[in-house]
Amino acid sequence: MADVAQPVGILEQIRLVAGLRWRILRNSARKKSNRLDLIGLIVIGFFGSAVVIALSFAFYAAAHAFLFQGRANWMALLFWGIFLFWQAIPIIVAGFGANFEFRTLLRFPLNLRAFYIIGLAYGFADFPAISSLCWLLAMTAGAAVARPGVLPAMVLIVAAFALLNVTLERLIGSWLERLLARRRTRELFVGLFVLSMISLNFIGPLMSRYGAWARPLFQRLLPYFSWLPPSLAGRALAAIAQLQPTAFLMSFGFLLLYLVLFSALLWRRFAAQYRGEELSETAAPARAAIRPLAAKGDGPDRLNLLSPQVAAIVRKEFRYLTRNGFAYLTLLSPQLLIIIFSMNFAGKHPTVGGRGISPDMFFPGMMGYLILILMAPAYNSFAFESRGIQTYFTAPLRFRDVLLGKNLMLISVLSLDIMLSMAMLVWRVGLPSAHMLVATCAAIVFTVVGQLSIANWSSISFPRKMEFGQMRGQRQSGMAVLVAFATQILLGGISATILFTGKWTGSPWLPAEAFAFLAVLAVGGYNASLDPLTRLAERKKESLIEALCR
Amino acid sequence: MPEIAIRTQQLTRRFGNLTAVDAIDLQVTAGQFFGFLGPNGAGKSTTIKILTGLLAPTSGSMELLGVDFAANPVEVKRQIGVVPEGMGLFERLTGAEYLQFVGRMYGLDRATTQRRSEELLEFMQLADRPKTVVADYSHGMQKKLALAAAVIHGPRILFLDEPFEGVDALAAGALKALLARMTERGTTIFLTSHVLEIVERLCSHVAIIHKGKLVAQGSLEELRAGISGEENTKTTLEQIFLSIVGQDGTQRAQLEELSWLM
Repeated sequence: MADVAQPVGILEQIRLVAGLRWRILRNSARKKSNRLDLIGLIVIGFFGSAVVIALSFAFYAAAHAFLFQGRANWMALLFWGIFLFWQAIPIIVAGFGANFEFRTLLRFPLNLRAFYIIGLAYGFADFPAISSLCWLLAMTAGAAVARPGVLPAMVLIVAAFALLNVTLERLIGSWLERLLARRRTRELFVGLFVLSMISLNFIGPLMSRYGAWARPLFQRLLPYFSWLPPSLAGRALAAIAQLQPTAFLMSFGFLLLYLVLFSALLWRRFAAQYRGEELSETAAPARAAIRPLAAKGDGPDRLNLLSPQVAAIVRKEFRYLTRNGFAYLTLLSPQLLIIIFSMNFAGKHPTVGGRGISPDMFFPGMMGYLILILMAPAYNSFAFESRGIQTYFTAPLRFRDVLLGKNLMLISVLSLDIMLSMAMLVWRVGLPSAHMLVATCAAIVFTVVGQLSIANWSSISFPRKMEFGQMRGQRQSGMAVLVAFATQILLGGISATILFTGKWTGSPWLPAEAFAFLAVLAVGGYNASLDPLTRLAERKKESLIEALCR
Repeated sequence: MPEIAIRTQQLTRRFGNLTAVDAIDLQVTAGQFFGFLGPNGAGKSTTIKILTGLLAPTSGSMELLGVDFAANPVEVKRQIGVVPEGMGLFERLTGAEYLQFVGRMYGLDRATTQRRSEELLEFMQLADRPKTVVADYSHGMQKKLALAAAVIHGPRILFLDEPFEGVDALAAGALKALLARMTERGTTIFLTSHVLEIVERLCSHVAIIHKGKLVAQGSLEELRAGISGEENTKTTLEQIFLSIVGQDGTQRAQLEELSWLM
């Protein structure tokens, strides 16, 4: 007779899941490509840690100063900063979290309480949570050094605040997961999210224009903010510092009420998941049978200058582009950025007040910035191919055709986007001088084509699968990010040096000539790179297929 | 002398210390419906990947339709169709767009690609969802689309890795009829499947791979004769398979050790 599984303690289950996550990370590092990725992540993580440590000192100093100078009420500002970071950043940097499907644990004999606690415990393992905990600890230390008497209350407040934050973050995450279970909703959400992020840039110019009018309105809203968790945490601490135990109990009590409310809501969500809530998409309902294809394919091929294979890839890339809401936004963002930057730094907008940067500086600067944004996806250009990558190796074509098709589509889109951006620049800032216009155009050819060869190499060497309209687990390979970063710094540095050399030497046409020469070199280099890259793809095809077919 | 569609010589593939395919000499005559069998992890998918250009062999050589694969991969690929493991579909294209893409990749002109796409979509019963992208297809629909894409250019050799997995009985029946017609017209079909009944019903010839080595190869009659010493039409492929790679003493001993499950 089979044994009956014995119940396992929650701590043991947390330990087991922690072990599982660690083994996933360790085993993934066995592969060379993953190791390189890990190195890239460590470099990025190093910079992230430096920022967290520096801010910890800032939080320590601020908490110390507020309590030492008797301005304990201001502590609410620090709690607000942490609160916003903890709740907003998980959505923005979800891709940096470990790709671990928490719900897969449901097949094990966990009770709901254990499932809830493990879910909560893993909320503390994400980067925003760890950073926020560091800052809360730094605040606690700063407050305790300034006023040792507040330490017990501070520990209570910080513990409740941290628990509240992690509960709310998991709650928002689980709501989002439910909301985004459908592919179309997911894509729409990603689009709206990116748009809202871009829109944040308008806050500065709008405030400078309408700030005076909006300030009284904002001040009328302020009292309502004081009943939200970060303000309550700050008020509780201020009450203790001012020796008002009743006020402390009231603020702390409300904080705990929030905690209970969020916990109850999270419990409800986790209970639904525990009962087997089905979020996956079912196949679309069948439509009435109609003829699938029009006869338009019988007409002349508009891409007949290209080989059938390259033309097929260009068409496929175009279709992928039209079904990728995020790509649309990437294409739209340059024009938005031109408006934002011209409102802040150049042009005829009243906020600049006629003291902006000249078109001769703004024009190449803006073009450089746009290329930086638009070229970034090229460093992992097979990201969305998924299992389709196998077709490129089973079909009768050379891999140079695949690269050519993809690059041609990218260049077409870039050209269109750059022309639109140029028109926007002319409207917003004005035309630069003729020599600067020619130099910038030649520099665009040099930097774009120069990057393409390296980006193709990076795409073949450090591929990383990505899904349309999905944010969790979406990130480029660490090495691809480093390669893109280094290339763009190098080409940007060369371009800036050439532009300034022209200015310093008083030879206005020198940059145009130098960039034209470099553009010819870049085109030659690109052409020469296609065959070696084809051989590289043949050598790397196994790792490429493995990375994209997961 | 019949044309040889697939010939491998000492074909080997190693992954570190593991030899997934160990010096196999395979010979498939043109027009055969060839079943390639083996237990899990025996090297079936690795072999099919090597034969279709998705994996490079560590050593050995292979010829498809008399053309050396290593010397002229593009020429060989023009002649073959593949339904690889995982199907290799571009999920953000509709079924029609995907077929048109594949047709053009194989060098068909637009009109031919268009006509064949329509016919294949009708045949596979996929024509009623013209605007649905492949990502929203069910598993069975994806399988049918992958098969349609593999045959759109009229390949002379068709490689199918588990083609009937996840396909409903109705569609499977139509697919089997299609494949049978293709072999009648001279197409060579190289198929792997775990469903031995399907292989037995469809295939005229079979090879069995076990732990990377080719342990049997021939017509079903030859294999039957091989295990019983004389031709016995009642011996099923499953019995042949089990007698060659089936339970050995070690597995039985392990089963006895799992007494706590009984």
